[in-house]
Amino acid sequence: MLGIIIRDISLMFSSRQMILFMVLYVPFLLYMFGSSASEQLYLMIIVLYTYMMSLMSFSFDITGKSRYIINSLPIKRGKIVIYKYLSVFVYFAVTIVFAGIYLWIINILNIANVDYFNLRSIIIGIPTVMISTAIVFPAYFRFEARIAQIIHFIVFLTSFTLFGNAAFAGDKGILKYLSFIKLEHVMVAALVLYILSLILSVVLYKNRDL
Amino acid sequence: MAYILEVNNLRKEFKNFTLDNISFKLEPGYIMGFIGPNGAGKSTTIKLIMNLLKKDGGEVKIFGKDHEKYEKEVKNKIGFVYDENYYYEDLSIRAMRNIVASFYSDWDDEKFNKYLRDFDLNPKAKIKTLSKGMKMKFSLAVALSHNADLIIMDEPTSGLDPVFRREVLDILYSVIEDEGKSIFFSTHITTDLEKIADYITFINKGKIVFSKPKDEVLESYAIVKGGLDILNDSTRKEFIGIRETKVGFEALTDNIEKTRKTFGDRVLIEKANLEDIMVYSVRG
Repeated sequence: MLGIIIRDISLMFSSRQMILFMVLYVPFLLYMFGSSASEQLYLMIIVLYTYMMSLMSFSFDITGKSRYIINSLPIKRGKIVIYKYLSVFVYFAVTIVFAGIYLWIINILNIANVDYFNLRSIIIGIPTVMISTAIVFPAYFRFEARIAQIIHFIVFLTSFTLFGNAAFAGDKGILKYLSFIKLEHVMVAALVLYILSLILSVVLYKNRDL
Repeated sequence: MAYILEVNNLRKEFKNFTLDNISFKLEPGYIMGFIGPNGAGKSTTIKLIMNLLKKDGGEVKIFGKDHEKYEKEVKNKIGFVYDENYYYEDLSIRAMRNIVASFYSDWDDEKFNKYLRDFDLNPKAKIKTLSKGMKMKFSLAVALSHNADLIIMDEPTSGLDPVFRREVLDILYSVIEDEGKSIFFSTHITTDLEKIADYITFINKGKIVFSKPKDEVLESYAIVKGGLDILNDSTRKEFIGIRETKVGFEALTDNIEKTRKTFGDRVLIEKANLEDIMVYSVRG
């Protein structure tokens, strides 16, 4: 697991695009949605940061065949998949710390008055991240990264649109139609979906020609 | 005898190519050259051995153990070098080392740093800034730094200039001499193998042509040169492959005695090298 996380973090710091995303994403969201919907904004930041961090290593397979290296190392394919799914929670924790510091600085400098820690958003964020990665991961473990990226963009844009709607329109927007869903049910559904997705990814990746 | 690498009836089917029940064995402490033209199935075989491709049939045993069932255990003792750089280009040598080292139970940092010094590699350099030869040396440094017993190399000298190629071969030779490791080395540059290989396995169109000790291969084949007047439908069949010119022919035989008896002084029989054997066998 440590090897997979070392790889992902090393790649993150080596990628100019990822560093730019990490630095500019928060100001971009503040510019787009303002600081009035502070809770939704915080949720949007932690979910999409975690999502991007989790998928970032796959993007290196578009230009190269680095999966040959990882799969030539002493690790079984099933473990690569399991560690990837587990690492999402590590990135979620990293994101909470990173976003917390970043947003705290924004508050201190009086740039905007935003949440830098919101437990309710974190609780909603966990199943949201689980559902979005559960949809995308099997695609990356089965198909060429270039094809899987299409599914990634669909999930990313859908999430972004839903969050944007929630931030802009509040209870009058999409949330009005989702208000009947209880958080506990979402948690259970996310957990079931995540486990099913994990099993599917293990089966697909184990039987795939790299 | 315990083989370090044992491939039995290995099969893999693609739309336009089939690796057809190939078999060969490598004993500990030897170098096996895996030769064949481009598209013969060398890289496919190596990817199957490394479990990067899923086989359709047959078995691969490494250190006497099934390569899928004991994947982690056997890969811990395999050093690999591929024909292209598959390492993350944006990372530095040091960052890549940190990733790779965390997977091996027997990673030797002292050895790795020694190789970096010997190969003149700067640990801070990004992999994308290295030349092809330097990337190959980096791959070698990684492959040799975790006490592997088997080094698997897919076209390691391809695209390198003769000086670099010689350097790589010298390194491999010293590894074998000093540490008694086994090397499985695919290439279409057969001259490299004449210097270092103990065994030669020749693959063509997905089938093994032969897998024998190098000296036996070189002794059993010969180049036959003669005039066109001795060639007819019957004599042509005596040869594996023929090249005809306006003034005569040059052919490959694997039956030197019979050729000598049949043609006597009318032909010149010379030693064949691996390139001759490969070219005439492929061209026919």
